[in-house]
Amino acid sequence: MEGSDSVDQSGSDQPESQRRRLLDRLDREEAFYQFVNNLSDEDYRLMRDNNLLGTPGEVTEDELFNRLQQIKDGPEQPTNNPSTESAENPVEPPENPEDPAGGDSLLDWLNTVRRTGNTTRTGHRGNQSWRAVSQTNPNSGDFRFSLEISVNRNLAEQQAAAEGEQEPPEQPPEAPEVVASAEPEPELEEVFSPEVVGNPPSSPAAPVVQPPLCPSPRRGQRRARSRSPEPRRTRTRLARSRSPLNLDQLDGLSYPRHNYSSQSPSSSTNATPVPPVEGSSRTRQHVLSRPSPAVDVDVQPPRVSAEPAPEAQNVGSQEGETAGAEGGAGGRRPPTIMLDLQVRRVRPGEYRQRDSIASRTRSRSQNSNNTFLYETERGGFRRTFSRSERAGVRTYVSTIRIPIRRISDAGLGEATSMALQSMIRQIMTGFGELGYLMDSDSDSSDSNRGANTSMDLETLNSPEATTADASSADVEEQPFAAGVRARTSESDMDLSPDTPATGGRARPRPPISLEEPSSLPFLRLAHFFLLNDDDEEQPQGLTKEQIDNLSMRSFGESDALKTCSVCITEYAEGNKLRKLPCSHEYHVHCIDRWLSENSTCPICRRAVLVSANRESVV
Amino acid sequence: MQRASRLKRELQMLSTEPPPGVTCWQSEERIDELRAQIMGGTETPYEGGLFSLEVKIPERYPFEPPKIRFLTPIYHPNIDGSGRICHDALKLPPKGAWKPSLNISTVLTSIQLLMAEPNPDDPLMADISSEFKYNKQLFMEKARKWTQEHAVQKNIVVVNSNKENIPDQKAPSRKRDALEAKEQAKEPAKRTCM
Repeated sequence: MEGSDSVDQSGSDQPESQRRRLLDRLDREEAFYQFVNNLSDEDYRLMRDNNLLGTPGEVTEDELFNRLQQIKDGPEQPTNNPSTESAENPVEPPENPEDPAGGDSLLDWLNTVRRTGNTTRTGHRGNQSWRAVSQTNPNSGDFRFSLEISVNRNLAEQQAAAEGEQEPPEQPPEAPEVVASAEPEPELEEVFSPEVVGNPPSSPAAPVVQPPLCPSPRRGQRRARSRSPEPRRTRTRLARSRSPLNLDQLDGLSYPRHNYSSQSPSSSTNATPVPPVEGSSRTRQHVLSRPSPAVDVDVQPPRVSAEPAPEAQNVGSQEGETAGAEGGAGGRRPPTIMLDLQVRRVRPGEYRQRDSIASRTRSRSQNSNNTFLYETERGGFRRTFSRSERAGVRTYVSTIRIPIRRISDAGLGEATSMALQSMIRQIMTGFGELGYLMDSDSDSSDSNRGANTSMDLETLNSPEATTADASSADVEEQPFAAGVRARTSESDMDLSPDTPATGGRARPRPPISLEEPSSLPFLRLAHFFLLNDDDEEQPQGLTKEQIDNLSMRSFGESDALKTCSVCITEYAEGNKLRKLPCSHEYHVHCIDRWLSENSTCPICRRAVLVSANRESVV
Repeated sequence: MQRASRLKRELQMLSTEPPPGVTCWQSEERIDELRAQIMGGTETPYEGGLFSLEVKIPERYPFEPPKIRFLTPIYHPNIDGSGRICHDALKLPPKGAWKPSLNISTVLTSIQLLMAEPNPDDPLMADISSEFKYNKQLFMEKARKWTQEHAVQKNIVVVNSNKENIPDQKAPSRKRDALEAKEQAKEPAKRTCM
């Protein structure tokens, strides 16, 4: 009593209005608890999952009730979504809250991703549209991230309309694996435990496109048709992301393809196989197949030989082919830049040895008329750049290989480790560079090309060198050598055959300029990867499913511990309590909120999930 | 989340059974900002000093730790010039050790403990920390000097009123305010020390 008096006293000094507000709030909090206690399990879950509960005291009981009604009335959409999703891929946290907003917040999204694990997201920015997929394989700890950016000049507006769309999350999770599947070929590599592969293949659309020739809306359709037959990975993806554009026809074809394509499809494939296989191989394969995109024939054979499975690469090649086939007709696909990044967990005891495989393979695959290959090696980094041109389709492939050692046993493979981060950074840089290359390339003649490339490489190298040093240092520390491979980026440029001047070659075409290259998402990506060191340590919570799996009961008078230590409130008859594996109990709404961001018991700090994917924290 | 009601309870507990050597009360009318004082422990270089702290309660409390900093300058390996405290209970896991079953009272107590037992292996002030490790005598001297300079009330009257305050939670808040005003008046000059 005394205590309360003192509180009241101090209150009396306050302006009446404030005091009143405080009291109101307290009342509402009481009401909130009442309300929550009276909810059925289903309703409670429904509201919690839709973030309708808010903070106690924030809204009145009536408002809560209204919200509940609303969500119930709304044809269960919200309910279904989460449930379905969870059913399909429990891992993926539906990004409910942000979904619609989406467009520009790539960074935000990335931040979400790191927390959630597997996600797909698309968005638009200016005339660029992007699609990003990230997934973490809980078993192996491998991480995969891919980003595809397409630049659409004419369609910018349309895209805007389309923006909000989100991709179906399902596919993305599997993507990582795909790679593995592709790589099944043992021959290629031994596998280095930690691999980082970045394949940013970009398929620049036909240059022609730029020219205002086609009315944007129409164009999309047109293209679609002409191309429809060809399954292009990029396309498909794009299509999805911006349904309005290409999607129409492509859908049928592309989708399936997609699956096969590196991203979505792969995941499924890989998932299982990956862990066993070291995984490094995949990347390479990718590279291979892609390089030859220009001609179907060319490409395919190589692929086949290299990869038994139909990989993403195939898709890539196909795309290329199609494009080629269509020749002039098809020419206009929007330029696309794709980044594919994989981080493999290093396993102790494994050794990495060959780095160059990737590049070798590649060269093999290229049988085209016009191929350019450039290799550099510096400070332990090997970088390869190649360009091939066929039937009006140019393909650029750049590969960066970075040897690393692991810093410590633990966390080697984690995307977090410093060495990895710097590598990723590099890849990102390379990625951006690629865009630059393409730009310059379009202008310059082949001869120039070489020069440019080297220039570029030089530029790249310097940063790399630094990294290399760092990594080498690391290596020394570590006895185990982990091979990290950064695979790089591939970009396929489709020069459009349209260009009159060029016969097979696209020469004449105008340079493709990505608008404001500096603003491209990949730059921000680099930023993202750099800045995130700290974030990795952010607490990670449990998923809704995991939380729901914990036992629940109603409070009965006979219980010994009568106070919830989260809200310091005694339990009342009928309160719903959740019991953690450690036997500590809390109000359902109290502990759920804590567990959504943390994974340990608030009293004893024991991990709530016994083993799961993540080691228990602390 | 349950910030308001939980705070209310906590304040009651703080006033009815304050941990020894620690006081905490609501500052002004704000519910999300508290003031606290910790008495320097005996056998420590902070003995005789009275250290004021600012306690801010984040919106998401208790799912986030309270934000606490020293207002009174203190010479300590884990407390920096602006009063920030390097203490794991004040950070969220996995870096920190905050958990909702802790509360303001326990956190203040652990800060009191930290004052008595610095943790030089997780230093915020590298210099002070190495001094603590390798030249303890010098450290103790300086810490004591700082305590004398900043935390000991030279005005006897004030000291008296303080003493009243500590044991008596219900002392009129005005008295506290006056105290604070004095302390704050001193602050600027003190801070420049760092």
